[in-house]
Amino acid sequence: MQMLYRSGRACRKGNEVTRGTHRVFAGIAAIGITAGTVGASGWADSAAAADEITITFWNYWDGTNGEAMQALVDQYNEEHPEVNVENVFIGFGDLLPKLQAAVAGGQAPDVAALDLVWMPQIARSGRVAALDDYVAAADVDLSDVYPEVLAVDTYEDTLFGLPVSTNNLQLFINRDLFVAAGLDPDAPPADWDELRELAADCTNPDDNVYGLELFTEPGEGLTWQFQTYLWQAGGEFLNDDNTAAAFNSPAGAAALQLWVDMLQTDESAPLAPWGQFGQGAACMVMDGSWMVGGFAADSPFDFGTAPLPYPADGGPATNMGGEHAVVFTNDDAVTEQAAFDFVAWMSSAEVQEDWDLDTGFMPIRSVVAESPTYLEAIETELPQLLPFVENQQYARSRPPIANYAEVSDAFSRALEPALLGDTDVATALNDAENAVNELLTNA
Amino acid sequence: MNAVAPRDWPLRRLTGWYRRANRLGDVSTAALFLLPTFAILGVFTIAPIVQSGRLSLFEWDGLSPDKRFVGFDNYVELWRSGLLSNSLRVTLIYTIGVSLGSLFCGLAIAVAIDYVGRGAGIYRAIYFLPAVAATVAVSIVWKLLLDPNRGYINIFLDHFGVDGPNWLRSSWALPAVMVVGIWRRIGFNTIVFLAGMRSVDTSVLEAAAIDGAGTWRRIRHVMIPLLAPMTLLVLIMGVIDGFLVFDQIFVMTGGGPVGRTEVLGILLHAQAFDYFKIGSASAIGIVVFVAVAAITGAQWLMFGTGRRGVQQ
Repeated sequence: MQMLYRSGRACRKGNEVTRGTHRVFAGIAAIGITAGTVGASGWADSAAAADEITITFWNYWDGTNGEAMQALVDQYNEEHPEVNVENVFIGFGDLLPKLQAAVAGGQAPDVAALDLVWMPQIARSGRVAALDDYVAAADVDLSDVYPEVLAVDTYEDTLFGLPVSTNNLQLFINRDLFVAAGLDPDAPPADWDELRELAADCTNPDDNVYGLELFTEPGEGLTWQFQTYLWQAGGEFLNDDNTAAAFNSPAGAAALQLWVDMLQTDESAPLAPWGQFGQGAACMVMDGSWMVGGFAADSPFDFGTAPLPYPADGGPATNMGGEHAVVFTNDDAVTEQAAFDFVAWMSSAEVQEDWDLDTGFMPIRSVVAESPTYLEAIETELPQLLPFVENQQYARSRPPIANYAEVSDAFSRALEPALLGDTDVATALNDAENAVNELLTNA
Repeated sequence: MNAVAPRDWPLRRLTGWYRRANRLGDVSTAALFLLPTFAILGVFTIAPIVQSGRLSLFEWDGLSPDKRFVGFDNYVELWRSGLLSNSLRVTLIYTIGVSLGSLFCGLAIAVAIDYVGRGAGIYRAIYFLPAVAATVAVSIVWKLLLDPNRGYINIFLDHFGVDGPNWLRSSWALPAVMVVGIWRRIGFNTIVFLAGMRSVDTSVLEAAAIDGAGTWRRIRHVMIPLLAPMTLLVLIMGVIDGFLVFDQIFVMTGGGPVGRTEVLGILLHAQAFDYFKIGSASAIGIVVFVAVAAITGAQWLMFGTGRRGVQQ
């Protein structure tokens, strides 16, 4: 018996041995085949990749903008066979977190198009390449780029990115509601007094229609809309070296008072979630050029656009948004150069003109804004964009400080009680000034 | 001398040398089997918590290669600015309200379904639906319902001549989000309680009936105490969920107005991804961890496993 046990395998019933052995051999074979296939394909891939430089390009453009960018990327890949640009879409809310994780994990993309508000932080991080030398070496012409737009990319006198799109805020009018209220839709308000009057006239509480939609929820939305009014009144958000708040001034008080009057006194502006104009519940709104295409295609009402009204003793001004492209530092100089070449191509005048016509983004260069072909195309296809194009020159950029998001949040929080009618204008501005100054000194 | 080799002879052969070498054979075998679980737990749960604790002592923007050691400054700054205390207060109110509210509602509905008996499956499905619906979609719908001018809730109130408030932009914001939170949790609690009721020995209930206990007394004095383990489970899960709530509040109020609904999750998100302050965000994460651990621990101590006092 012991002998049987020792030489167990040969003496076991045939079935069990065969099955067991078969399983083992099958397993080894499966693993071998898989390994071989993967290895072989990997080998083939790396052989192909050796000829091409891959540039990963992260951006949050979706819908028609995404399609336009994909078309541009395809065009670039065709014209430059030695480079393969990969257009990677990442949703707006996810882009920064994913970028942080990727950078921490050493998997940063080569190029990214980022909201201009993030630029100060990104430029400081030490993860993106300084572009001055590249610009000089390639003789890239930046002379006609709007100064305020280019200022966003500059940190400590060094260029850390190039603009690829911009936009600004102007007045949208619901022509149907204007007509229903007996107002002339072709006579937009020219100054703040008219704005207040028209808003009050157009308000119809029975139909839940309001005159002017303002962004009243806390956050950057409120801050950036308010800044427009502040600048128009001749005020400034922060002082020249960005060390203290400057909005607690007569201009700031005038701007905030206008908002409070319309929200609380006239009740011509609603304290509702953003989007009332799009639902046909507001006669006017200050919104961005990026909305024009969508409204033109989809809106159930007839809409018009007009330059923003500014106070008689002030001047035209508007806020700007947009995306700027950065090149992440790469040990491989060839890849970094290829990434820069792509970015420079994206911001060149020829590409920008097509890009702007396809997306409705505003020109970053005056050459494009004044180009006859561009203007003609706009006038024929989307004339509502003209006020935005003409007023891009008055667009101002927000303070390029690292903790801008915190400052903006604190500012909007302090203003909210005034908008809700819980406190008066002076107190709100004082609280805002204190909160902002504290953040600026701690930075 | 073995007549026939035992069936598990391969395993015994393989581990034989190990178990012979090891006097405490059983304990170390058990340890060996627990190793994979602990390894996964360690890598995916414990290590990130420790790393978070470490990061909370630094100032870092999440992008640059430099981290600056600041000790407990992040915690101190969060407390001093009032952000942390406000957030803790809001989160506690939310958590207590939602876990207790959904507990009572869930229990009531479970008792009702059990009592009715017929159509239990359909009722279970209906009440569980909110729990499985996507949080963001649900939150958007509620936000539209609560719109002060065009939302159905205010239109409905208008029919009765009641002027509905601006729900999400006033002091009604926190109650409103809490109602949505309770509404979402009820289904899950109901299912847990129903499962508990299934496992209750009917003989106990019959004995009570024989002793003259009416339906209500049977429910209140026999059934509910027997559901104590379920109650503890539901409470603990409610507390954990309450402290971790984020999506729903982010969509509905964004933490406003003026921080009235700024729970710890919202504060953490803003610090990490809006302000680029990973150190501060990690500090908040550690606060959440400590708070949930403390409350859960207290619950365990107070109620044991829920089985004490129920044993016959």
